[in-house]
Amino acid sequence: MSNYETVIGLEVHLQLSTRSKAFCGDDAGFGAAPNSHVGVVSLAHPGTLPRLNEAQVRYAVRLGLALGCKINLENRFDRKNYFYTDLPKGYQITQDAMPVCVGGAMPIRVGERWREVRIHHIHMEEDAGKSIHDVDPDNSLVDLNRAGVPLLEIVTEPDLYSAGEVDAFMTGMRQLARYLGISDGNMQEGSMRCDVNISLRKKGSRELGERCEIKNLNSMRFARQAIGFEAKRQAELLDSGKPIRKQTLKFDPASGKTHPLRGKEDAHDYRYFPDPDLPPVVLTKKFIAGEKSRLPALPWQLYAQFTSEFGLSDYDAGLLTQEPDVAGLYLKLCDSTKNYKAAANLIINKVNPWLNEHRAGVEDFPVPVNALAELIGLVDANKVSASAANQQLFMGMIENPDLQPLALAEKLNLLQVSDENYLEQLARQVIGANPEEAEIYRKGKKGLIGFFMGELMKASKGKADPKAGRELLVKLLEQGL
Amino acid sequence: MSPKYHSLQAVQEAIAARQTNCSILVEHYLGNIAASGHLNAWVEVFSEEAIARARELDEKYRTDPAAVGKLFGLVVSIKDVICYEGHRISAASKMLGGFESLYSATVVERLLAEDAIIIGRVNCDEFAMGSTTENSAHGPTLNAADPERVPGGSSGGSAVAVQTDTCLISIGSDTGGSVRQPAAFCGVMGFKPTYGRISRHGLIAYASSFDQIGILGRSPEDIARVLSVVAGPDEYDATALPHPPPVFSFSSQWEGKPDPRKIAFIEETLTHPGLDPAIRQITEDYLKGLEELGHQLVPVHFDYLDFLIPAYYVLTTAEASTNLSRYDGVRYGHRSEQAGNVEEVFKLSRTEGFGREVKRRIMLGTFVLSAGFYDAYYAKAQKARRLIAQRVEEILNDCDLLAMPATPETAPKLGELSSDPVKMYLSDIYTVLANLCGLPAIAFPIGTHPEGLPVGIQLMAGKGKDAALLEAVEDLRK
Repeated sequence: MSNYETVIGLEVHLQLSTRSKAFCGDDAGFGAAPNSHVGVVSLAHPGTLPRLNEAQVRYAVRLGLALGCKINLENRFDRKNYFYTDLPKGYQITQDAMPVCVGGAMPIRVGERWREVRIHHIHMEEDAGKSIHDVDPDNSLVDLNRAGVPLLEIVTEPDLYSAGEVDAFMTGMRQLARYLGISDGNMQEGSMRCDVNISLRKKGSRELGERCEIKNLNSMRFARQAIGFEAKRQAELLDSGKPIRKQTLKFDPASGKTHPLRGKEDAHDYRYFPDPDLPPVVLTKKFIAGEKSRLPALPWQLYAQFTSEFGLSDYDAGLLTQEPDVAGLYLKLCDSTKNYKAAANLIINKVNPWLNEHRAGVEDFPVPVNALAELIGLVDANKVSASAANQQLFMGMIENPDLQPLALAEKLNLLQVSDENYLEQLARQVIGANPEEAEIYRKGKKGLIGFFMGELMKASKGKADPKAGRELLVKLLEQGL
Repeated sequence: MSPKYHSLQAVQEAIAARQTNCSILVEHYLGNIAASGHLNAWVEVFSEEAIARARELDEKYRTDPAAVGKLFGLVVSIKDVICYEGHRISAASKMLGGFESLYSATVVERLLAEDAIIIGRVNCDEFAMGSTTENSAHGPTLNAADPERVPGGSSGGSAVAVQTDTCLISIGSDTGGSVRQPAAFCGVMGFKPTYGRISRHGLIAYASSFDQIGILGRSPEDIARVLSVVAGPDEYDATALPHPPPVFSFSSQWEGKPDPRKIAFIEETLTHPGLDPAIRQITEDYLKGLEELGHQLVPVHFDYLDFLIPAYYVLTTAEASTNLSRYDGVRYGHRSEQAGNVEEVFKLSRTEGFGREVKRRIMLGTFVLSAGFYDAYYAKAQKARRLIAQRVEEILNDCDLLAMPATPETAPKLGELSSDPVKMYLSDIYTVLANLCGLPAIAFPIGTHPEGLPVGIQLMAGKGKDAALLEAVEDLRK
């Protein structure tokens, strides 16, 4: 096994989050009752014709621009012909000859560094319906809600070398899709799936081996298992001197094995040809420039900004860029505070857990950004202790989003006391009540300051500003009152 | 059969003069339908519905004569490939036996919106594939001019329906002459507009880049009136032209002599060995007559005549082979009772549901698109199509019209063409040109063959010049 290098290319299917389907007005949403999003076009009734949903093209261009692809101005749709129960027209509308995006690259983070995975092309197509084989013992059931939902197929060059890198690519693609607002990239709901092309070559060799394609992997766990199994299978074949046969495979999650889906001898002839029902779609340079100007900051750009400009660790930058709205919140917060590290901690340790716990999005988070900034400011100014800020005050702000944090801290009795007169009075009390300890301290056992601090905090009911209190205690103890 | 009314204008004038009304008209046409039943032009007559609608329209007119639509008084039939919500549609195929459409074609909606009455659906070749209307699950339609002969096809039922005065207008479809050829065989007028002029939404597809809804009737004015209602952009058909419906100016509506036209004719079409000598004679006499009326005849050459049929059949069968993939027995239509698994549902349903000619074209089309053959057939035919269109465009840049025979022969006897597919394909030689180029074309009668059958001529005009073509036909008939 260790003699070989695994080489992987991906075909990622990304379902677009357009409201209606790619070529008709039917709802494209996920999760409805079976066959409830099926008008006459989705059902391929006689006499129906496709009409292009322009949002699909816009989304494709957006992704292409983000990945630095060349955008083809003239776009044509082709028919891919095959019979299947969940393919109502008996052909899929896709782009064969002239894909919308060509070239480009996707940055992925592997270990400590970033590297680029080259994109071969991205094309538009429509999804098929779903065949369900495990509900009725005698029949296969077909749900055509998904039939006609727009997809982008992103085809990479063979630039990935492990399941971990595939994971990084898929995670990055999901992240990018969410940044661009073109798909939720949700693998559980089938919004993102991938076909894995995998081959082995002797380490050090530049030549690619014969490859097999594992179809339709719909979770990263399955993808990892399938790649692991397939790499081992191919290595064993090569070790025993047998050739790899080019074939299409299916992964069986139950056994963890791959199986041939069809051999080369019964490979489909899809008879691609230009769809005569859809005239070519010609994009203007203006349209593309418009999309380019509306591109948001991309995850890898924000990552760079967070680590260099804001001085965050790689780990924190990774966490903060995962979701576009969280990254956006962090950026906004950094407009209102210069304590970038504290802002990062507040979001990572407090805001994110709250969002996760409530299954909420940033837009649902009740506390305004300026209040979060003020919270950081109160800690920085020693007005509230870090622990009080993180616990009572943060929760209090969520419950009372309309109150100013300072007012709320006051109301909750969380303000630290740094009033010198009051503190000095307390300090004198504390020292006066413990003359023996004060004596020992003066004789050199400076560690006793901790004891006095504890007493001072007790006396102040936890509200004494620890820094000011400590300074006072030291001063008074040294002076011998 | 002499029609009761020659034009929609005559109908509307008679209604205004209280000589008739929609109910009387419908009764008249229903009577003729019954009387011509032996010709088998009708697949289904919407009798009760037409009577009820006529009554409603009469009432509407009685209440306010100005409230009725532009096609008030027009009784129409539709070819059995045009969807009408809540009505059966079969494409003359067993494959769609019992199928009822859930929606209406754009052309149907626009006809109804202007108060036309749809009286029934008429026979055709299965999935509009054929030149005789013999190839129908409903049996052959016969030509009223000689019931031993076919009416042509695929819109044979439409042509016979107009021929026998069972409706004033019939809506057909024309992929390679399916409106014009039967019109010529039956002695009526058949018009195929510019590709995309009438939305194909709701027209059962044969070959998408060739299909165009056509109109059969008795006069260019009637056809123009219907065209101006049903044409125009449609969001449900991406290939529909964005232009508004054409506006017409008929010389019958103004005084004076019509403009002389510059009319091209391709010499090779008249010297073609397949052309019946009598048709050639009638055509040449007609053209000479036009010259005498002051029109200018321009003989032109066209090198691609022998490429028309091959290019046409490669491209149309290619498109048809995938357009008809949706008929798989899964969601609607015929499903084989013998099928025990999914693959058998596909194979047996299609084997049982489609007729011979449809299967032949699916096989041909599948072949020409197959890996390894695509370039030699499909790609080459596309190239031929471009060259042909370029040459015709050159001709029509210089001339107003291009004239040629509509058909090489008159209507054949039953079985004569359908038994020899290649001969049948070759008989489309004059009509496929307009579909290859997407041009408007019309066929209308210009004489009677010594055998007693109607002979038609065909005129074509440049892309988008539908109005100019129909106006010219009106002028030339003067």
